[in-house]
Amino acid sequence: MSGELLNLFIKSAFIENLALAYFLGMCSYLAVSKSVKTAFGLGLAVIFVLGITMPINWLINTHLLSESGLFSLDLTFLRLILFIAVIASMVQLVEMVIEKVSPALYNSLGIFLPLITVNCAILGGSLFMVSKEYNFSESVAFGLGGGFGWFLAIIAIAAIREKIRYSDVPPALRGLGMAFILTGLMGMAFMSLMGIDPAAF
Amino acid sequence: MHSTSSVIRFVLIMTSIVAVVLSFMATSLKGIHDTNEAVYNKKAVLAAVKDHIEGDFASLTDEQVASIFDKQIEQKVIDMSGNFIAEADVKSRGYKGGLAEHIDLAKEKKREESDRVLPIYIYTKSSGDKFYVFNVRGNGLWDEIWGNIAFASDVNTIAGVSFDHKAETPGLGAEIKDNKEWASQFIGKKIFATDGEYKSVDVIKGGAKDPVHEVDGISGATITADGVAEMMERGLKYYQPFINSVKKS
Amino acid sequence: MAETTVIKKKESTFAFGKKERKLLVDPLNDNNPITVQVLGICSALAVTTLLNKAIVMSIAVIFVCAFSNLITSILRKSIPKQVRMIVQLIIIAALVTVVELTLKAVDYNVYKELSVFIGLIITNCIVMGRLEAFAMANDPWRSFLDGIGNGVGYGIILIVVAALRELLGKGSLLGYKLLGPTSDYLLTIPGYAPNNLMVLFPSAMFVIGVLIWIHRSFNPKLVDIS
Repeated sequence: MSGELLNLFIKSAFIENLALAYFLGMCSYLAVSKSVKTAFGLGLAVIFVLGITMPINWLINTHLLSESGLFSLDLTFLRLILFIAVIASMVQLVEMVIEKVSPALYNSLGIFLPLITVNCAILGGSLFMVSKEYNFSESVAFGLGGGFGWFLAIIAIAAIREKIRYSDVPPALRGLGMAFILTGLMGMAFMSLMGIDPAAF
Repeated sequence: MHSTSSVIRFVLIMTSIVAVVLSFMATSLKGIHDTNEAVYNKKAVLAAVKDHIEGDFASLTDEQVASIFDKQIEQKVIDMSGNFIAEADVKSRGYKGGLAEHIDLAKEKKREESDRVLPIYIYTKSSGDKFYVFNVRGNGLWDEIWGNIAFASDVNTIAGVSFDHKAETPGLGAEIKDNKEWASQFIGKKIFATDGEYKSVDVIKGGAKDPVHEVDGISGATITADGVAEMMERGLKYYQPFINSVKKS
Repeated sequence: MAETTVIKKKESTFAFGKKERKLLVDPLNDNNPITVQVLGICSALAVTTLLNKAIVMSIAVIFVCAFSNLITSILRKSIPKQVRMIVQLIIIAALVTVVELTLKAVDYNVYKELSVFIGLIITNCIVMGRLEAFAMANDPWRSFLDGIGNGVGYGIILIVVAALRELLGKGSLLGYKLLGPTSDYLLTIPGYAPNNLMVLFPSAMFVIGVLIWIHRSFNPKLVDIS
């Protein structure tokens, strides 16, 4: 059982990477990847929030919204609203807790937390979880794995963008244009992992 | 700054308005949604026998699809040993409609292999020819893939197939659904060898050699194509007890 | 990136003058949501494999963007500051659910193909970004125009990218076969094979990257100096 969960973690971190295979969370990925330090902060925050919201949304989806749930009604049309409300309130809660518990961590992480609410990797993760019909422990593994994969991806591009600052890129392509093309290339590299089954090792 | 009570009042009013509006929309459109979904599934079954349907299949209206399905298709549900199952037993498994078209193979896949049920659709052409449509389900590259496989009355020669998928790559893996020429290769292939041994139909990368049991792969989508072969091999084997009983009678 | 624009002059509510036109036209070029503001990239990548998906998605985004701007602007004075984000998100999520339910009733096939990505309009930062930057500070009519302008600016890029990807990747547009090796294509080039890479995700990155390059070459004031 735990082996399967580990496989799912590896699969969602590397093979089905939220950023480089599904291209989710691109807005903040491109906006906050100018330096490795800030990328690190945002990446950590994403792991954190994905890891928390995924199980909560799983509980809501199975025990409140489905026909076999608490109200015995098909309430799936409320799914989007509840998911986003959970994400927004969790982000706010996490922000408050971190501020109280560790002001140092809050200073380095705090400004990224509001950004995460509109990071589509978070909502996308929850929606994928529904469409892939994961169970509770699988959704935890998927959340943590997906967050870790996103963390790796944003650190990687931030490192490349720091190096490329000294390269002679055509002026019109500088910054954003180059970031797009780089992400495309990284996506191609990740494509070579496609279809690998971690259970086979 | 607003006081806490006014914030709570605002949020409560807002959420109740939103909930009422959305529930009203969802309930009033539910009928249309259910019909759409039913027609979508019926069309997928009919797509497997589309060469044997009068008129142009692509231009059939939703009403025509429903009427052909209801008039010319007989639905049966069997268990893993090939025996027919009564409507009440199907209902007791959680399928409210109780018919083959209501069975969800994704749910069946989660049960023990010996405890599953399988849907069968028997299509009778106006000329009287019978076709058997079986359902198979397996894994593609990203997520699940599934298909309807139609057999001629010998339950050996494939008369048509229709595949679908949850999340295969458009233009590559998704070709199993979109590329009609690829799917038409399956027509005329046989799943049993001449000595009666079960062989299924394999999908071969780089070109099929055996004209009876192999079809070409899809370039750039080897894993999805292998998934199709695996799903047919395993899925059609489940129907073997039923096929044997048809052959005997 | 998102600057707050406030139109101070109190003109008649539904005036349509120079300023209003600017609201509609600006996002098409100088302030394009995708190539300049870099908002709403995720869905731009995922739904641009086929032109018809991109068109449906654009219509959905224009609708959500315009009406969420309108509603937020009407409510802007009564929304409590503390729960601003959540209220905005609920408005957007409700509108997106409306789109989803409607699409499911109108065209079930397209609904099946787009389902997850329709949900992701909620986190499409264009919508959220315009609410924060414009609708919270301007009157309903101008917010509505701003929403339409940004929705259209987004849609144009989506459609251009999708047209390029479908034409080069599958040799067709809207399902009509245009360019290919066999005679059932309109323009037959023997030995030509559509480039499979174009239908994969990374190619969307390349296409948008090159679009930004072209856009900025013609519009030097947008060039990133840093």
